[in-house]
This record gives sequence, C-alpha cells and structure tokens, in this order.
Amino acid sequence: MSAVPSPEASTPMAPRWPWLAGFLSGEARAWLFVAKSLLAMYITGWLAMWLQLEQPSTAMITVVVVMHPQSGMVLAKSFYRAIGTVTGSLFGLALISVFPQQRELFLLCLSLWVALCSGGATFYRNFMSYGFVLAGYTAAIVTLPAISNPLNAFDSAVMRVSEVLLGIVVSGVVSDLVLPARLRGVLRQSARAQFGQFIDFVRGSTGGSIPRERMEQAHLAFVRSAVQLEDLRSSVIFEDPEAHARSSRMRLLNQRYMAASTSFQSLHHLINRLQRRGAHDVADALVALYRPIGDALAVEPAQQHEPVWLTERLRDCARAMPAHVLSLRDGFTEPAAQLEFDTGAALLQRFADELGDFTATEAALRKPQIRGSVERVHFRRGHDYTGAAVAVLRTFLTMVTLSAFWVASAWPFGASAMLLATIFAGLLAASPNPVGAVMNTLYGYAAGMTMAGVSVFVLMPGSEGFVMLIMATLPFLLLGPYLSTCDTLPGVGAAYTLGFLYILALKNPMVYDPEHFFNDAIAQLAGVALSALAFVFLPRVTGSRWHRERQLRRLREQVTLVARAPLEGLAWRFESVSRDLLQQVVAHTRSDSDEARELLAWSLAVQESGRAVLELRRDLAAGDLSAQGRGHVDAALQSVARLYQMPAAEAWRRADREVLAAIGVVAATPRVRQHLHALRSALHDPDSPLAAYLPSPLTEPADAA
Amino acid sequence: MPREVAFHGVLMPGLVPVLIISLVLMVLIDMVAGRLGLYRHVWHPSLFRFALFVCLFGAAGLLLLR
Repeated sequence: MSAVPSPEASTPMAPRWPWLAGFLSGEARAWLFVAKSLLAMYITGWLAMWLQLEQPSTAMITVVVVMHPQSGMVLAKSFYRAIGTVTGSLFGLALISVFPQQRELFLLCLSLWVALCSGGATFYRNFMSYGFVLAGYTAAIVTLPAISNPLNAFDSAVMRVSEVLLGIVVSGVVSDLVLPARLRGVLRQSARAQFGQFIDFVRGSTGGSIPRERMEQAHLAFVRSAVQLEDLRSSVIFEDPEAHARSSRMRLLNQRYMAASTSFQSLHHLINRLQRRGAHDVADALVALYRPIGDALAVEPAQQHEPVWLTERLRDCARAMPAHVLSLRDGFTEPAAQLEFDTGAALLQRFADELGDFTATEAALRKPQIRGSVERVHFRRGHDYTGAAVAVLRTFLTMVTLSAFWVASAWPFGASAMLLATIFAGLLAASPNPVGAVMNTLYGYAAGMTMAGVSVFVLMPGSEGFVMLIMATLPFLLLGPYLSTCDTLPGVGAAYTLGFLYILALKNPMVYDPEHFFNDAIAQLAGVALSALAFVFLPRVTGSRWHRERQLRRLREQVTLVARAPLEGLAWRFESVSRDLLQQVVAHTRSDSDEARELLAWSLAVQESGRAVLELRRDLAAGDLSAQGRGHVDAALQSVARLYQMPAAEAWRRADREVLAAIGVVAATPRVRQHLHALRSALHDPDSPLAAYLPSPLTEPADAA
Repeated sequence: MPREVAFHGVLMPGLVPVLIISLVLMVLIDMVAGRLGLYRHVWHPSLFRFALFVCLFGAAGLLLLR
C-alpha cells in the first residue's frame, strides 16, 4: 500500500491534465489519512495486547472515533474524550455502588445521566459537546457489562479507562508526529483573509453610501468569519503551543473585529438615513470626515494588509480627527443639523479608534514573540435551552424504553443494544439530518459486521501472530478510513470501521464463538436502528420553523439584555452572542428567502440599537448626569428594551417619546445627547424591520434641540 | 519514593504522580516557549515536544525507580 503516489506518476502529467494532479493530491491526502489511522490502530491493538488489557478492541475503537485528518482536531477531540471518559466512569462507579442490587433504579438513573449529558452536548458546537456525549455513554460502557456482577464494576472501569486513554495517547502521538496536517495554517490563513476582507471593505466604502443588500451580505460574511475563527481557535490551541500562548489575544482580536464592524455598520446606516432624508450637507460632511480613514488604509498594495503600517496611519488619522470635526462643524448653524453631525462625528471617532485597536492587536499577533498580557474576553454562545430539553427527553425515553424491554425480556444481549443506541443517539443528535445520518451509520455498520464475519471466521482461524492478524484484517479495515474521507458518504466510513472492530472483539488469545457473534450482531444492529426510531419520534428541534422563530426572538432580546444586564463584560457578551445566534439560525435558512432577509435585517437593527444602548449604559455608569437626566435616560432605555422584546406600534411610539424626552433633558452633556440621538435615529430607520411599526406616513425625527 | 501510592485506599503505581508532575512541567515549558516563539527554531515541533516529554518523564521515572 503506498500512502503517497510516486512523484514520477504525477509530475510529468500535471501540466497536461490538471484534473489528474488535483485528483492525485486529493487521493494522496486520503491515503495518508488511511495509513495514519491504520498505523495508530495497530499500534494501539498491539500495545493493548502487550499490556494485557481486557478488550483491545475498545482501545482500537477509540482510535477510530478520535482520528481526523487534521492533528489539531485529533488533539482537541482526545482532550475532551479523556475528560468525558474519566467523568463518565467515575459517575458509573458511583451509580453502581449506590444501586448494586436495584436494576430498575440503576437503569433509571443511568438513563437520566446519559440524557442530561446529551442535553449538555447541544450547548456546544466544538468538541466540548463530544466530551459531554462521552461522559454519558462511558458510564453505560463501564457499568452495563458489569451489571450482573457489581463487584466487577471497578475493574471494568479501570480497564475501560486504560483502554480509552491508550487509544487516545497513541492516536494523538501518531497524528501529531507522522506527517502532520496542521490546522494552524488554516487558522492563520482564515484570520488573514478576515483581516484583509474587512480592511478592503472599509477602504472601498469611503464613498459613504452602501446599499442595504450589500451591507447585509457583508454583515453575514463578517459574522461567519467571526464565528468560524472562534471555532478554529478552540481546536488549534491544542495543537500548537504558540497558538495557545496567543489564545487570549486571538479572542481579543475577534472581539475588536466585531466591535469595529458594529460601529462601521451603524455609521453607514446613519449616512444612508441622512441621504435618504435629503440632509445631504450633513451626509457629505460626514463622508468628508470619513475619507481620511480610507486614505489611511490606502497604502501600496504590498503593504495593504500590513497591520503595523495600518495601525500607525490609523492612529494618526484618529488623532487628527477632532480638529477636522471642529472645522467642518462650523458649516452648520442649525442646532438640529449640528446634532446630526455631532452624532455622526462621534460614531466616526469611535470607529477610527476601534479600527486602530483591531489592527494593533493583529500586529501584536503577527510578531514572533508575545509580551505582556491582555484583557481576558470570551466568545459567548447563544444557548438554546428548549433544544437541549428535547435532546434530554429523547435520550431519556430511548434509554428507558430499551431498559424496560431488556428487563422484561431478559434479553442476554440487551446491554449491547442499549450501549449502541446510547452512543448513536448521543453522537448524532447534533447532525443536521439525524435520521439520514443514523441510516448511513446503519448501512456502514452492517457492512462492517459482514466483513468482520468473513475476516474472523474465514481468515483468522488459520493465522497466527500479530503480523498474520494484520494481514487478515488490513484489507477490510482499509476501506473504513478511506470511506470517511469521501464527503459524499458522511458517517458511513466511521460506522463501517466501528462495526468491524466492535464485532471482531479482538482478544488475546482470540475467542471464536459464532453464536455469540450473531447474537451480538443482531443486538447491535437493533440498537442502531432504535436510535433512528428515537429521532423519528422526537425529531430534533434545531432548524425547525419553531426553533428559528425562537432564536430570532432571542436575537431581538439581546437589546433587552444589554439594557438590563450588569455592565461587567456586557460589550463582549452582546457582540458575540448576537452573532452566534444569527449564525445558528442563518445556517438553517435558504440564503435568498424572505426569512433570511428578515433575519439579517433584524440582526443589523439589533447590532445598531444594542450598541447605542450599551454606550448609554456606560454613560450612566460614568455618572456625569443629573438625577433627573439619569431617570429620563433610564426610562428611555427601558422603553427601547420593551420595544425589542415585543415589537409593536404602541411600544415604538412610547420608546420614541421617551428617547425624545431624554434628549431634551440631557442638553448639558453632549456625549449622552449624541448617543441618545443615535438610538433615536436607529429607531426611525426606514430600512430596519422596526419600520413596520412606525406610524405612517413616515415621520421625520422632529427637531430635538 | 514508594513504588506504589495509596490514593483513598486505591493502590496506584508510583509513576502516576511522576506523570502528572511531568505533564504540568511540560505545560509550563510550552507556555514559556510558545510566548517566546522558541519552537520556530525546531524542525519538527511536535516531535521535539514529544521527545522532550519522554526525556522529562523518563528521567523522573528512572530517578524514582533507582
């Protein structure tokens, strides 16, 4: 078996048939993965037999489950798998020592534990979720085989933990040492792409006006890249100590990116509104004020994405801005126009500062050495508690039904069926189409078992020694990892290998027992099929219409949260949760549908208003307002919070009234007044979904000054 | 150091605490080297780290079993 096609075969053909070169490099990657998986599997099997572990097959199965073409993924998955395994087996031990002779109560509690763990898994979209699933089913793996002999439970737990940890260590070492495919390169590339994209977009939009659709698409792209970077970061830190040392800075970079993009959008919405209303002089003045930022970013193409250069130029530009503002402000005599201009100028100043912070963080990240420490920020996720509750209920019902059937029928292989149902109900709960995924798994599993039957009863009885074992299993095992690199057959490859290894049940010395083989095979297939049944009866809610509507409501309520939650760390929380929520829902809508458009429009409105509310909260906390002013601003914030919680014409009128009243009261503090005006202007945006609640005909913001 | 340690009545090989200490040491070394970018001067960083860990753990284990 050659892992890499020979260079003689690919080089001379490459210019003539480019598709062949592409095909060969894809195949080379696939076969490299196959080779690494098999190497790790056999090393694990050999070590497990050498160390006289009870079930070498469990250790080999761990390798199958953990293996991934990229080593960062393997290490991240291994880390969480180790934690999940230890937690699960400790809980399993505790459970069996509490109910050693109470099978019913024991199974009930076990079902509850597994169900809670699979509910916890729905909260995360990285391998943390996998750790939760494992904590659940390891408890089952450890205790179910020992249930008729509770005194064995401890030994069983020790064995399972040793086997799993052995598999983890070997697969981690093999994937990281033997021709590793690094995730770090992917992270670096996408971080640079994100940086370049954003800088280019900012530079390209100094003309002032951006159509709403383009802004929505750009917003979607920014949100995607922010969430993806966070996902990548959470895996890469396991692979690379340098990335780990940069982890908190990468988080800060992402947060600054989100903050800058929110300010950028607010600014453009403001300019768009001014132009639409015919206030061209103010809009033009703001565009003139904005142009230096574009000029600061317009350096020679070679240095266009060099953060060190850009930071310097942006800082200069931000420093020069106040003087520029003063000179432009003289052109406005009307107080209303002055207020409009001041609001826009404050927004621009904020944007220039944030953009400078963003490029400065990027510059620090690109340096070979890291000095000092930075503020710790977190990327918060928008959790869906109802979705988790459905997952808990589904797993619980599956487990309880199976346990009841097992207890009632005294099925000798009930434990196998239950184990498999647990594993797949947990693992596949997060897939977009669980029933289809279980069916794929079922086919792969059945195929793997058939092959294992051939291998174990035809080839293996005549063979002796580890080399012969490899010869008898290798041709069949090759297929699994190779299939799992094919995107067209998701889940089949892993299921094939799992089925093969599970039913092969390698032992030293090997035990040949056809009766056990067939009984176990039937039980395991029944277990997989039952988990499909569970998904049919209790379909997953993620992605359903109901779920999307709920998530949209939660997205709106982010404004309410910003108005009411404690201020500590609120900015980061708001920026990340609102983006995470959008990303979650957008994944389930068609990109050109009305629903996707509505969602994006709401998201933009939430970002803009939420940020204005946040700035006002900061002003309130700074405490340079009179008691009367505080009362009015607070009332205004509460009414806006209610509007976003329950959008209605009455709520909109009320919010508008309160904000206007507050603007009148805080005349002495221009900062607060500008923030209030920005908020009011966002409420009046004819492009935002709030426009549906505006009293018609469209009223212009009245003279507030 | 004893060859076996009792942890709440469970006997464990004496190598387990040594392993934990070496792991912690390795994490500390990684933190420092990662901040200073030292691993850039190594051909195969993960092989180097693995070898370093084997050295650490092996040396400590041999000292223990001497």
